[in-house]
Amino acid sequence: MGATRSLSRRELLRSLGLVTAGTALAACRPATPQVARETVIVTQKETVVVEREKQHENVTISWWNQFSTETCQKVFPQVIEEFEQLYPWIKVDYEISGGPPGGGDYTEVLLSRIAAGNPPDTATLWSPPVQYAARGSLLAIDEYMAQAKWARPGTFVEAPLKSCQWRGKTYGLPASASNTVTLINKAKFEEKGLPTDREHFPKTWSDYKALAAQFVVYEKDELEEVGTVPWAGASWAFPLFSALNGGEVFDDAAEEYRLDSDNNVELLQFWVGWLDEQFRGDIEKLNAAGQWEGTYPESAFAQGRCFIVHEGYWAITDAPITVPFEVYHNPVGPHGTKSLTAWWPNWFVLPKGCPHPDDAFLLLEYFCTKGWILWYTKGAVDISPWTEFPKDTLNVVLVDMLGLERAKQINDFFFSYLDSCCVMWNSPIEDFAANTISSAIDEALHKVKTPKQVLQEAQQLCQEKLQQVLSGAG
Amino acid sequence: MGTALAGPTAGVPQKARRSTGRRLRENLRGYAFVSPWIFSLLVFTAYPMLASFYFAMTDYSVLNPPVWTGLQNFRVMFTKDPLYWKSVYNSAYYALLAVPLQMIVALGLALMLNQRVRGIGVYRTVYYLPSLMPTVAGTLLWMLILNPRHGLLNLGLQAIGLPKLGWLSSATWSKPGLVLMAVWTGSGWIMLIFLAALKEIPESLHEAAMIDGANAWQRFFSVTLPLLTPAIFFNLVMEIIGSFQVFASALIAGGSGQTAGPLNSLLMYMLHLYRYAFRYFDMGYASAMALALFVFLVIITMALVKSSGSWVYYETARR
Repeated sequence: MGATRSLSRRELLRSLGLVTAGTALAACRPATPQVARETVIVTQKETVVVEREKQHENVTISWWNQFSTETCQKVFPQVIEEFEQLYPWIKVDYEISGGPPGGGDYTEVLLSRIAAGNPPDTATLWSPPVQYAARGSLLAIDEYMAQAKWARPGTFVEAPLKSCQWRGKTYGLPASASNTVTLINKAKFEEKGLPTDREHFPKTWSDYKALAAQFVVYEKDELEEVGTVPWAGASWAFPLFSALNGGEVFDDAAEEYRLDSDNNVELLQFWVGWLDEQFRGDIEKLNAAGQWEGTYPESAFAQGRCFIVHEGYWAITDAPITVPFEVYHNPVGPHGTKSLTAWWPNWFVLPKGCPHPDDAFLLLEYFCTKGWILWYTKGAVDISPWTEFPKDTLNVVLVDMLGLERAKQINDFFFSYLDSCCVMWNSPIEDFAANTISSAIDEALHKVKTPKQVLQEAQQLCQEKLQQVLSGAG
Repeated sequence: MGTALAGPTAGVPQKARRSTGRRLRENLRGYAFVSPWIFSLLVFTAYPMLASFYFAMTDYSVLNPPVWTGLQNFRVMFTKDPLYWKSVYNSAYYALLAVPLQMIVALGLALMLNQRVRGIGVYRTVYYLPSLMPTVAGTLLWMLILNPRHGLLNLGLQAIGLPKLGWLSSATWSKPGLVLMAVWTGSGWIMLIFLAALKEIPESLHEAAMIDGANAWQRFFSVTLPLLTPAIFFNLVMEIIGSFQVFASALIAGGSGQTAGPLNSLLMYMLHLYRYAFRYFDMGYASAMALALFVFLVIITMALVKSSGSWVYYETARR
């Protein structure tokens, strides 16, 4: 028991060899608590990552982002810190105030850098990756996704992922896809004795219009209060309204626009009819009377003059709503079959020519999966379309605002509605089309031309522009 | 001996050579001093200009190499793009309204601020201050002033019994609204140039006119205004060029996103160009637009220069 024995030279050398090998192995593996935690759950894919870690030398990758708010500047460095602990050989270089290094317009500088062949390793986009991908300026990430730890194929909600796909390849991922709902001022509804439970909220456009009409108030020829202005700020979400009526804006499989379909003409006619019935047919007087869009402090909703809006989840904590509110599924048009939701994403991409694509993908993946949890908790309620995102994650501002139970209810509602995302942001000429559609809606509501005319013209312009891009596309 | 044989005339070419050498050295020094400016002119102005002339004849998305398409961009611009002519109309409307108004307001201010009164420096500073305000801040301020429901301007109109106007919500009144912003923010520096020109007018001319019995209006039209014509000419050229390049205020006031004011009434030429260049990835078309604007402005400027002989009075030229 207490006996001692001497080490032979061979045993000593073997022990030293074991210690040295152990030390070397320990030096190769990440030493941070996060990595320790990650490697406890040893899956096959994680082992692959750990194996890759051993092969990597220290590297600094650049990330360009457009996020500039105070919350972003507070939370995103924490996400980066988490990432750097998880992948200790990678350092992330970024501008904390948002924008490209050295300043300037983000898109201008990004385009120039891609063109010049010295782009950042990864970039956040606020316009759809499809636009860049169709012009051959992004790296396809399908092979990376096939071996990914979290962002595996099939782990993203279909419609948001489509905004990154072009001709069968994936050119980026959506970190967020906060969806939109119909949101009401509950107090005003109760004051008017109207039910606020979801069962009784209108399911169709005609019932919705009738409900909104009950709130319209004119005083001395001036519009004081409205139920809702359905097209206010809706030009970006036109694909949703089209889909709610069984239509579509862009068929990406056929690579064709479908703007002047009967469903879309019917949609615009419905809006013009609404304008005539509830706002005396004068779009300019209506626009002059208030800001009917959204829930932000300058909006008519926040000022207690508009009581129903179409709004995204992000807005609820971005500028906290001060009145009691309730959320509902968006009503469906006469030719629609189910309620759908629009969504507003932040995309992450790898520009073609980025110096460290392997490591940059890890950052892209982290932001669009695990890393977003921290942002969702401490930043904005910007829902992730990653299907493995823990649905019980709650935002601190939301909980402070509404209390735990109510926050859970609201959170569940938005998460469950995410499966009904409509297809949008999927065109190679998205920005051109959005402006063209916006002009078309405006012309129809000004009654300069009929809904059919404006949509036919928009269709022609968009299709021609699309053909021009496709003829030069790779 | 050789030198003696050469005689006194032999020194002339040597002197000339020496002075040529000195001149050359001096010139080289001069060129060395201005070389940073020449370099920046060539690299940052001349090259981009020439490159954009080339890009105007190509299909160029910035993200891919340009493909030569000849005059295709111009064909689309003049015959197929409905918003091109809308942007030309909007910019021309804006220029025709903003330039004369700015000039008149600036001249009026300069005449007032040319008086010898106590605290004139303060007044001059106050009237110049709006020119120092960043365009974004100035535009946001004016968007509040022009708010159809609660804006100061409409409250003022209502107070004197006039109807409220839609301003930026109205296709008819949005451009005049933008012009008001331009007059407020842009008149300061024009005023400064007029003020400097007014200071150059000899007092003796006014005194002589007064002795001849000219009243204030006659002195203004017969002495002040003719002597201000070089400044008027300069301001006119600069303002016309500037008014066709208005961008930030139109972008912000027009809604900054997918709209450009009601019925695209605030879609100015540069805004349309910017959209093509950086939103629609069509730098070729944007370059063609830039080239068309360049040619138009050169023609306008040349016409003004040519006409200036008949209405601009240069005191030194007459001597």
